[in-house]
Amino acid sequence: MTGSELPAGRLSDESYEELYEHAPCGFLSVSLDGVVVRANETFLTWTGYARSDVVGAAFTSLLTPGSRLFYETRFVPVLRLDGEAREVSMELSRYDGTTLHVLTNSSLVTHDGTGMVRIAVFDSTERRTYERDLVTARRQAEESEARVRVLQDAASAFAQSNSVMAVAQALVDVSRVAFAATEVAVLLLKNAVALEVVAGVHPLLAHMPADTLESGSEALRLDDVFALSSVEEGEEFSPVVGAAMRLARIGAITSTPIESESGLFGVLTCSFGRGREFDSAYYGLSRALARQASQVIGRLLLQEQLASEALHDQLTGLANRALLQERMDESIAGALREKVPLAVLFVDLDGFKAVNDHLGHVVGDSALREVAGRLRESVRATDVVGRFGGDEFVIVCPESGEDAAMAVAERIRSSIARPLERVHSRFPVTASIGVALWEPGDDAVDADLLFRIADEAMYRCKNAGKDCITLVRV
Amino acid sequence: MALPGTQAVDVHRRNNVRISGNPGGRAIVFAHGFGCSQEVWRAVVPFFEARFRVVQFDHVGAGGSDTSAYDPGKYDSLHGYADDLLEILEAENLDDVVYVGHSVSAMIGVLASNRDASRFGALVLVGPSARYVNEGDYVGGFDQADIDGLLDSLDANYLGWSADMAPVMMGNPERPELGDDLTASFCTVDPAIARQFARVTFLSDNRRDLAEVTLPTLVLQCTDDVIAPLPVGHYVHTHVAGSEFVLLATTGHCPNLSGPSELANAIQAYLA
Repeated sequence: MTGSELPAGRLSDESYEELYEHAPCGFLSVSLDGVVVRANETFLTWTGYARSDVVGAAFTSLLTPGSRLFYETRFVPVLRLDGEAREVSMELSRYDGTTLHVLTNSSLVTHDGTGMVRIAVFDSTERRTYERDLVTARRQAEESEARVRVLQDAASAFAQSNSVMAVAQALVDVSRVAFAATEVAVLLLKNAVALEVVAGVHPLLAHMPADTLESGSEALRLDDVFALSSVEEGEEFSPVVGAAMRLARIGAITSTPIESESGLFGVLTCSFGRGREFDSAYYGLSRALARQASQVIGRLLLQEQLASEALHDQLTGLANRALLQERMDESIAGALREKVPLAVLFVDLDGFKAVNDHLGHVVGDSALREVAGRLRESVRATDVVGRFGGDEFVIVCPESGEDAAMAVAERIRSSIARPLERVHSRFPVTASIGVALWEPGDDAVDADLLFRIADEAMYRCKNAGKDCITLVRV
Repeated sequence: MALPGTQAVDVHRRNNVRISGNPGGRAIVFAHGFGCSQEVWRAVVPFFEARFRVVQFDHVGAGGSDTSAYDPGKYDSLHGYADDLLEILEAENLDDVVYVGHSVSAMIGVLASNRDASRFGALVLVGPSARYVNEGDYVGGFDQADIDGLLDSLDANYLGWSADMAPVMMGNPERPELGDDLTASFCTVDPAIARQFARVTFLSDNRRDLAEVTLPTLVLQCTDDVIAPLPVGHYVHTHVAGSEFVLLATTGHCPNLSGPSELANAIQAYLA
């Protein structure tokens, strides 16, 4: 130590050099252009590079691609704006191709008039592994918790729904959140073949042929979740679907069947703004949600069917007497309120008894069903057609004066007079029609009175030779 | 629906819209990329304030935006962000807009103007990429595994922290001298949103959208940009008909930080 004695606590240049090169952490100096200008021995030892590999190289070339993305998009802005970036996790790509997990502290300094970044590098392999396990475990726990929460939310939303529409809407709401879907729709079968959107939005439909849903039951040949992960997959599946995805800016779509033991009755579609891969967790959850909804929808549909059966004639599907009575009461109230006339038509089939007696009840029933169909086609959308009993039918025509009522009656008369499908021409069937026309005035009326007057008018037709119309003003 | 006028306020708040510069000047809108906030334009904006009406905003999830407006379904694709941009132009009643989009915001501008070009006058795409992941002959610069690596990196850097703590960690509350709220919210991002935004940004494929661009377009490319390397910038340039291409001398992916004056000059030269 002769000649270079230093005051206590001061280090020689060599000692500083030694401390820098062999410090228990790596040191790097990087230019503002991102080029490494200096690196210490510790860094070289940890990464396995020769000094000449590192100095002069871009710092990003020492990073794994994932880390490079983070560095450029996050680290650089923070460092530039804040002057420093602490405890930033990075992955270095070692000379031998392996990865070294490090934590870095960096600061922006001005040295000899030029900006420079100093980076201290700490090996964090152990900590990183531990943290990663922690994050993975936590994410798994969160995912399974989220799944349970979605199913619970769905169950409680469905339980509060008292109509099929409400369940469908709840399924849309829950699915949209659960899958981060851009749009969700629930489609149900309207009749045996056509699908109908009952809740939410199906963005592709606006860009597909108008009759797409008419043969929608085709789509229900699904026996599991159907997925298109990209527009390209959509094009491969069908050019129409691919084009619709492009126009609707939808990159992926799934359809999940909504089914019960008795078969499929609808579909849940989730549309996404960009392509995505669907994993088993997605499939599982969408199946579970659709199953939950289908149970509730199935029960509600059954209830609706039972309620409908209680008000409809089983043979013809027309309103039964109870429903006719209800509609009559409403129509009378409406006529009084709006001060508009109301017509009630009583239709009795001529010659039907002979059909029943000679051709049997099976043919008779089919004739009644055919007549019911013709009645439906002859009336206006606002009219109500009901079966009063046997071969007697009643039509309630709100807001109808004499002209309108007679027009409906005439359409019915001529329609019934056409030959029936399974009935031989030796047994002609025609209609005697009595019309009761009421204009709200001083006299009170009720449903029974109007039925009775229409019935009496019908009997006048019978006496006048049948296949005709008699109108009576109340 | 909201009353007339209230929508403008909501958009303003949702996207933390900030307006400065010359109120009578042409509107120039700056949109930040993934990873930061409108703060990245800090050194660029002063070059424009004398002549332009300068509009900056934060994407929902970044900076001073209203994170309660974050709807994972809406923001699962860049279209959700494009919707917001169109709403901002509408709410501020801007016309003939010069739109400057950095990184992913370049494609957000492309999508928005393809949908409704009526309020746009020109596009300036800074470090754009129509697709980050390689596919067939297309060179995007990254593989799917690299994007997974970025998500890992995000986890390592802030998802390990509790969600409540993370925004504080990423901001700089330890520097109270930067007192005003703009600076205090500098570069903050919501970690959960950042994770989804990373996926949306780096897994999007907007190659087909380039052909639909009809606006005068300037493509600005940095030297040695590992996020959007030269072939990626060239791809955008060749697929946007009539676009102009300028290679900046500044390096890296953030010319707004590394070479603000060079960037500003290039934009002004294009608009002149």
